[in-house]
Amino acid sequence: MVRSPLRALALGSLVGILVLAGVLAPAGALASGPAGAQTRDTLTVALVSHAPTLDPHMHFERVGILVNINMFDSLLHKNARLEYEPSLATSWRALSDTVWEFKLRQGVRFHNGDLLTAEDVKFSFERVLEPGKEKKRSPQYGNVRAIKEVRIVGPDTVHLVTDRPFPLLLERLVFFPIVPRRHIEKVGDEAFGTTAPVGTGPWKFVEWKRDQHIRLEAFDQHWRGRPPFRYLVIRAIPEMATQVAELKTGGVDIIRNVPADLVPDLRAHPQTFVSTAPILRTHYVHFDMRATPVNNKLVRQAANYAIDREAIIQKMMGGLGRVMATTVHPAAFGYDPTVTPYPYDPKKARELLAKAGYPNGVDITLHSAFVEFRPVFEAIAQMLTEVGIRTTPRLWDPGPAWNKFLQGEGKATHGYYGSWGYYSVFDADAILHPLYHTEPGSWIGKWYTRIEGLDALIDEGRSTLDQARRKRVYAQIQRILKEEAPNIFLWHQYDVLGISRRVEYAARGDEWLWLFDARPRR
Amino acid sequence: MTAFLLRRLVRFLVVCVGVSVVTFAILHASGDPVALIMPEAPKADRAVLRRALGLHDPLPVQFVRFVTHAARGDFGQSFFHREPAFRLVLERMPTTLTLTVLSLAFALAVALPVGVLSAVRRNSLLDQAATVAVFLGQSMPVFWTGIMLILLFAVHWRLLPVSGWTSWSSVVLPTVTLGAFSAPLLLRIVRSSMLEVIGLDYVRTARAKGVPERWVIWRHALTNAALPLVTVLGLQFGLLLGGAVITESVFAVPGVGRLIVGAIRQLDFPVVQAGVFLLAMIVVTVNFVVDLLYVYLNPQIRLR
Repeated sequence: MVRSPLRALALGSLVGILVLAGVLAPAGALASGPAGAQTRDTLTVALVSHAPTLDPHMHFERVGILVNINMFDSLLHKNARLEYEPSLATSWRALSDTVWEFKLRQGVRFHNGDLLTAEDVKFSFERVLEPGKEKKRSPQYGNVRAIKEVRIVGPDTVHLVTDRPFPLLLERLVFFPIVPRRHIEKVGDEAFGTTAPVGTGPWKFVEWKRDQHIRLEAFDQHWRGRPPFRYLVIRAIPEMATQVAELKTGGVDIIRNVPADLVPDLRAHPQTFVSTAPILRTHYVHFDMRATPVNNKLVRQAANYAIDREAIIQKMMGGLGRVMATTVHPAAFGYDPTVTPYPYDPKKARELLAKAGYPNGVDITLHSAFVEFRPVFEAIAQMLTEVGIRTTPRLWDPGPAWNKFLQGEGKATHGYYGSWGYYSVFDADAILHPLYHTEPGSWIGKWYTRIEGLDALIDEGRSTLDQARRKRVYAQIQRILKEEAPNIFLWHQYDVLGISRRVEYAARGDEWLWLFDARPRR
Repeated sequence: MTAFLLRRLVRFLVVCVGVSVVTFAILHASGDPVALIMPEAPKADRAVLRRALGLHDPLPVQFVRFVTHAARGDFGQSFFHREPAFRLVLERMPTTLTLTVLSLAFALAVALPVGVLSAVRRNSLLDQAATVAVFLGQSMPVFWTGIMLILLFAVHWRLLPVSGWTSWSSVVLPTVTLGAFSAPLLLRIVRSSMLEVIGLDYVRTARAKGVPERWVIWRHALTNAALPLVTVLGLQFGLLLGGAVITESVFAVPGVGRLIVGAIRQLDFPVVQAGVFLLAMIVVTVNFVVDLLYVYLNPQIRLR
């Protein structure tokens, strides 16, 4: 019987697979945790993914920040009207152009019971700054690199010393979580980021199931008092349609970035509502000012007259956008309302184009990796084409796009359609430096922007704490920007939250989910 | 037998090398992860990171390093998660395998009875309905089926949870979605091979000697008709692992597919390589088992 061992092997394999399935199924499938149904004291939020770590200093992911802020406190906080509020620091003032003093709140406890001390504050900064080290571990290093030294001058007093006047310091400190030194030294960085995160925030860590949920529980000794919801669950749901279905059935209470076409549906649904807030994310087409024909100011101005911004916002973005005069956002420090947006005037656009030497029009190519706004990109290209700037729109995957129009020094392109989120810093400098400054430390400006005298003005704006002077400088910059038109100036976006009717909460202008403000609706 | 196993082992190794060459080549052609990780950094900082990630060496050097490490189960650290890529994949593999096996079981549970019956009662109402269902099933993309099932069973009728992987009830919709992708093909195979078989002499003989009809169909005919079915099952297993990628995203299932999709978006080479490699090994193994099953099902087949 030559066959029988084979037969046994075959049967064995079959049985093996079945057993495997039987054993694996419960192990893989039946993780304990929050199922669809919710209890009243649990607030569930859906995010598209989780950050790679819960350590608030070791990532730079929006989805991670949104979780971290509810577990950790920073020195400063911003309320829903985006005004500074005391958090772990009860007061602060600039002692000179480069030295800031912070008074720490007394009696604040970490989730493990340790008292917050000035040592923890110093440790938190040095963890990111890593003085003396060549290669920094934290991707947030750039945010606070201006801080040269953290001095403990008393049990409740800390001085931050910057290497030059640094007007953005307070903005940077709104998300700079303070972490417990003794705890981290005991458990190590890895455990701190995965199984043992400890902060002073309203909720403390319970468990993290990768790609499923992060579960938090209210911290009874939190200095603000107990948050209205006892449990906070952050689920990872990549698909927007699934998030919407979960919201409608009560599986989650808050979803983010609802696309414009789904907004009416959620507005009409009996169990959900939509909350929106204007945010910093600013759209623009950035021209490569070295390339013909967009090296000609008249062509760039013509392009600005060619776009019917209001029509795009109303017809393609569900009204969820607001036209901007330049790239400086109305909510950012330094905004000048007297600079007005380019009107939609295709006739004027054609005249300018003719004056620039292109009476029969001209061909350009624009690139973009802004996949979510593909139809808008195509509409812009069409509107440009209609006035004679015949535009070929090319959409890329974000990965290859970096190579194409950023790394490759902006070759083979007249510009790109994209957006800038200001890193949630409400200050003109947060967009002016990366987009227009031509020094190597800037972002796209060093390749694309060529405007005489602009570098000096941007430098002047960021090197003084004299806010009145900064305002004057930024007003001047905005007038130059409008005249020189290095971009097609477009609009800023709105944050769009879908929220269950059993929860009271409103979208914020900084895209934060500050869930201490969420409460059950009675 | 030994020769057969040896030959299979060689083929297995060839597939291993093939899979790693192809994934390696495609990934490295797809873009620069350093530019994605730190888009705003100066060139010097990028160079430091590139060196740290081992991306500064010439491609052949990187490839040899990749293969020698992979042979030891070391696919390197994930760029994004900063954890061993292989561990990330292994953690999620049980979930994906569960989903795939359950889906295949579901597809089979539908395809076998319906396929046999529509062959036996050819051109009956059932047969025609099955034909239409096959046609529809094959033209529906997985993500669409998934979202439709969510809308009906979770949102409209509130019978099942929308997404997640936390209870048996949450397993139902992903399983049906993925199974529905495979069932039509299986059904067609069952039906056509049954049709071929029931006209043969030995079936007539069985009937003539008075074997009960049910026994004739399910025992005599189906055993022979099962051969092509088994072949297709092996192939389907691989396809379903691929389909699981989409299903996992739609239903927020914490599996390998979702991990790989995320990793591709972030150009996280080690994770993609580890994931694709492991999935490929599973497919190869399953097909090996299928070959062995042939022998069991049809003793006339000799393994050479």
